[in-house]
Amino acid sequence: MRQEGAVNPSNHSSAIVVVENLVKRFGGFTALNDVHLTVAKGEKIVLCGPSGSGKSTLIRCINHIEKHDGGRIVVDGVELVNRMADINSVRCEVGMVFQSFNLFPHLSVVENCMLAPMKVRGLSRPEAHERAMGLLRKVRIHGQADKYPAQLSGGQQQRVAIARALCMQPKIMLFDEPTSALDPEMVKEVLDTMVQLAGEGMTMVCVTHEIGFAREVADRVVFMDQGSIVEEGEPASFFSSPRTERAKGFLNQIIH
Amino acid sequence: MNSLDFSVLLQAWPYLWSGLLFSLALTAAAFVIGMMLGTCFALVQHFEVPVVSQIVRSYIALVRSIPLILVLFWFFFLVPIVLGHLSGNGRPVPIGATWTAFITFGLFEAAYYSEIIRVGLRAVNKGQFEACQALALSTFDTYRCVILPQVIRVASPIILSQTIILFQDTSLVYVLSLTDLLGAASKLAQLNGRLVEMYLVVAVVYLAISSAASQCVASLRRRYALGGAHR
Repeated sequence: MRQEGAVNPSNHSSAIVVVENLVKRFGGFTALNDVHLTVAKGEKIVLCGPSGSGKSTLIRCINHIEKHDGGRIVVDGVELVNRMADINSVRCEVGMVFQSFNLFPHLSVVENCMLAPMKVRGLSRPEAHERAMGLLRKVRIHGQADKYPAQLSGGQQQRVAIARALCMQPKIMLFDEPTSALDPEMVKEVLDTMVQLAGEGMTMVCVTHEIGFAREVADRVVFMDQGSIVEEGEPASFFSSPRTERAKGFLNQIIH
Repeated sequence: MNSLDFSVLLQAWPYLWSGLLFSLALTAAAFVIGMMLGTCFALVQHFEVPVVSQIVRSYIALVRSIPLILVLFWFFFLVPIVLGHLSGNGRPVPIGATWTAFITFGLFEAAYYSEIIRVGLRAVNKGQFEACQALALSTFDTYRCVILPQVIRVASPIILSQTIILFQDTSLVYVLSLTDLLGAASKLAQLNGRLVEMYLVVAVVYLAISSAASQCVASLRRRYALGGAHR
């Protein structure tokens, strides 16, 4: 099975993200308990599980938006400890898309995409503009480049957020429930963009309950519950015949 | 009292104008000093800088609980003595009425602007900070390019309202024998005996400027309501 190599944390040759023995607590609550996850270059992983299972916390630890309390996280060869230089070099390589978009409301669409490349990557304004327009074209929203986020629909805003993350030319993209805040008719345009991105070979870790997307794109589905990884496998086998009772129960609830 | 005679205004106008210019200059200077210092005070509290934030908090509590006129007196009479002691020879170092006014108003307003900005900082969505982190923006760029522009935008109606109050408060400089708009009018009124006319005209000028500024507040509120509908 091709997953075996990727699951094994000792095989670091093609791994771009290695998470070992990860522990994260919020006060007395243990959000992540001894989690292991290895992501190979180019791999697409879908994280799913009931709310509060720790899936969002896990991907937020990967770019150190949440500080982990135990274990190791190595991203593209850099271990995340509390050194700001390391954290920032990891964040440069890891793009993130949030459930609530988090676009900057006071900047136009194209300026949203230009800010970090100029400030962090040191691009000149024309270079940043060119890159931003290219990626906005890719997510098919370049016609709205001079509008402000509040003037766009939710689906359009999320596509801008994807373009903004891509403008940093990351090696990995993290998606934290990117379609959960969208009206149903806008989900598809965002998923289509993500499918397109997957087709180009981007390494992706997506927290999502979109089973259609997972079946189409994911190399591996990771099911979490109560802060631990309970089951993982290829999407076809996971969705049709989950091995654990907890995964069965969860799938019964989300598939009506 | 005779009927109103506004012809005195013709002579009075240049003097009133210079008074008005002083009021506006003091307002502008206090606004700039107050906003810059106030933003620093707010950030110090926001980051909970040890010791400094406690000092800033006490300073703000103190300034907000005493009348501006008292601060003006303090600054005018006490600071020269303090400076004298600091300089070592014990003789008071006079700082002059104009400097006293500019510095005092700036320091005083800083406390008020600081509170406005501090509340504004708390109102910024947590997701904005996370988006900046995810994009690897430095703390400096995060605040300069993303957070503070939003705070200023959200708080602009309140900041402008505070500035209108500041503009009216500049009339207190009469205690330092400085001549602002109201001071100019009252001096002239005592010379020409036309108290009613002079005070009426001054009131109209204050009303015109303040209500024009209030219109700006209203339009800022409307604009923010539009732009802020989605965050």
